Amino acid sequence: MADLRDQTLAFRLRREWPAYVYLLPVTIVLLFLNAYPIAYTIYISMTDFGTGPKGSLLHYHYVGLANYDYVISHQSSTILQLVGNSFFWAGGCIALFLLVGLGLACVLNQPLRGKTIYRTLILLPWAFPAFITLLVWAGMWDYEYGIINGVLNAIGIHSVDWLLSPDNAWAALFITNVWLSFPFYTVVFLATMQAIPKDLYEAASIDGAGALSQFRRITLPYLRPTIVFVGLMGFLFTFNNFYPIYLLTNGGPGLSTQIFITQSYSDAFGAHGAAPLYSTAAMYSVLDFLIIIVLTVVVIWGADLTRNWLR
Amino acid sequence: MRVRPRRRWVRLAKRVASHLVLILACAFALFPIYFIVVTSLSTLPIAAITAHVLVPNPHSLTAASYNTILYHLSPSFLALMTNSLIFAGSAAATGLALAAFTGFALSKFNFPGRRTFVYFILLISLFPGVLLVIPYYFMFNSLGLIDTYLGLIIPYSAGAVVFSGILVKNYMDSIPDDIEEAALVDGLSRTQAFFRVLIPLCYPVLGLAAFLAFLGPYTDFALAHLFITTTNLETLALGIYSINSGDQGTQNYGLVTAFAVVMSLPIVAFYLAFQRYIIGGLTLGAVRG
Repeated sequence: MADLRDQTLAFRLRREWPAYVYLLPVTIVLLFLNAYPIAYTIYISMTDFGTGPKGSLLHYHYVGLANYDYVISHQSSTILQLVGNSFFWAGGCIALFLLVGLGLACVLNQPLRGKTIYRTLILLPWAFPAFITLLVWAGMWDYEYGIINGVLNAIGIHSVDWLLSPDNAWAALFITNVWLSFPFYTVVFLATMQAIPKDLYEAASIDGAGALSQFRRITLPYLRPTIVFVGLMGFLFTFNNFYPIYLLTNGGPGLSTQIFITQSYSDAFGAHGAAPLYSTAAMYSVLDFLIIIVLTVVVIWGADLTRNWLR
Repeated sequence: MRVRPRRRWVRLAKRVASHLVLILACAFALFPIYFIVVTSLSTLPIAAITAHVLVPNPHSLTAASYNTILYHLSPSFLALMTNSLIFAGSAAATGLALAAFTGFALSKFNFPGRRTFVYFILLISLFPGVLLVIPYYFMFNSLGLIDTYLGLIIPYSAGAVVFSGILVKNYMDSIPDDIEEAALVDGLSRTQAFFRVLIPLCYPVLGLAAFLAFLGPYTDFALAHLFITTTNLETLALGIYSINSGDQGTQNYGLVTAFAVVMSLPIVAFYLAFQRYIIGGLTLGAVRG
């Protein structure tokens, strides 16, 4: 049906109009449950809702970009830390996902006894709902009662203050999130690898290519589109992945593991019994949204560029 | 090829190393799950949960925690489960229908504004979902829907709609247009062809769409925590959270983990039964690149 592109608008409308009927329900749902709340959030971020004088919860005013201005000029270190943490969190996780996923997929892609059993077992963490396992992980990292320190003690290592010092908190977050996600990445890469024609490898090994150069010259080029696609989607997802940080560290200690989304949530719902700061929360949501949009545009544009370049 | 004696050793070493790597990966994957199951079967107070619990004495295992979870919770586990099923079930039904219509329109029609529509839904889906709870609260509060079934069913129905719609579109793209055209030649209208020919071909991906739409509300905490103020609407996710934070007396690991096992069981069973379709559906877009 590609030839329709050349037809006139009226002709296409006459033939394709049922599409609008099929899209009507989803459009209504998205306008009411996404577009309007997003617009509302942008509006709230430009008011003194929750940050103004007492009683402003009911009577808030439009203040333009004052919230943004205040944070950028008075709390620039907080903003910089949130930006840094968000990128560190998403970038670090994706690097680990790709590393572990690719490595395990390579190992699983060779003829091995018990391969199916390994694959099924490796997939199990992914089958459990993340919210539930995260609650348990939070307990496992506990300094006094957590099983991880328990195991460390049993093999003669002193307890580690996992969630109480910045470096260890990041380590705990990364390990937990790798546990949650590496099954998916392993399976995706394995599926892609299994689609590579086997005779390519045979031809290469007759020509005397070793395992490493086979990987570099055959496997990697085949995987590249998948790596780019999965990497980008994973990055965007992790950038806004709320529950691991909220349930494990809640941004702490201090602000050291706080990202935009957790900061926004705790501002809105008054962490430690503080008053809700809806306008600041909304502002952090908007900043998060803007960063994600810019990133997406840049990456899509960059991927197009490299594709045209290499072909 | 020359066969060198060294080669066999290299091969053997490679195989041993591969098994070692996989065993380590499985140990990492299974450790928390094993821990959850073992802890759920013991009644030790939290302070006594140390490494030696990992190799439990078979005689000390008890189903007491499960007994408490299933029969002695207030609100009862059954009530929590019923609420979760109401929310997740209706989200799955609407999510399934919306994803099917969206995927069909985007895959099989070349209507004016198609590109713009795709960009619009992608843009919208980039906004962090958890943060929608703030505007939702004010919207549904002014509609008088806070703490009602409808007030949660409506926002839950949109949860996975963009993602699932695109999954269905990708899947339908892989079904040749000839199939639909043959149905049209046989005298079916386009709508009839959609319901009678395309939909049955898409059962696997539609099942996945329903599953994803189900999973969101089933494990949602952020929205439920804010919207539900009376206990008769409480869901499983709120139940396990409140047990975990010690709202029901002191924090009891046995109870938390037993709850986790019972709550995860249906999801894990479904997942293991339909593993192939779930992975196939999710990797379709990714593998094609």
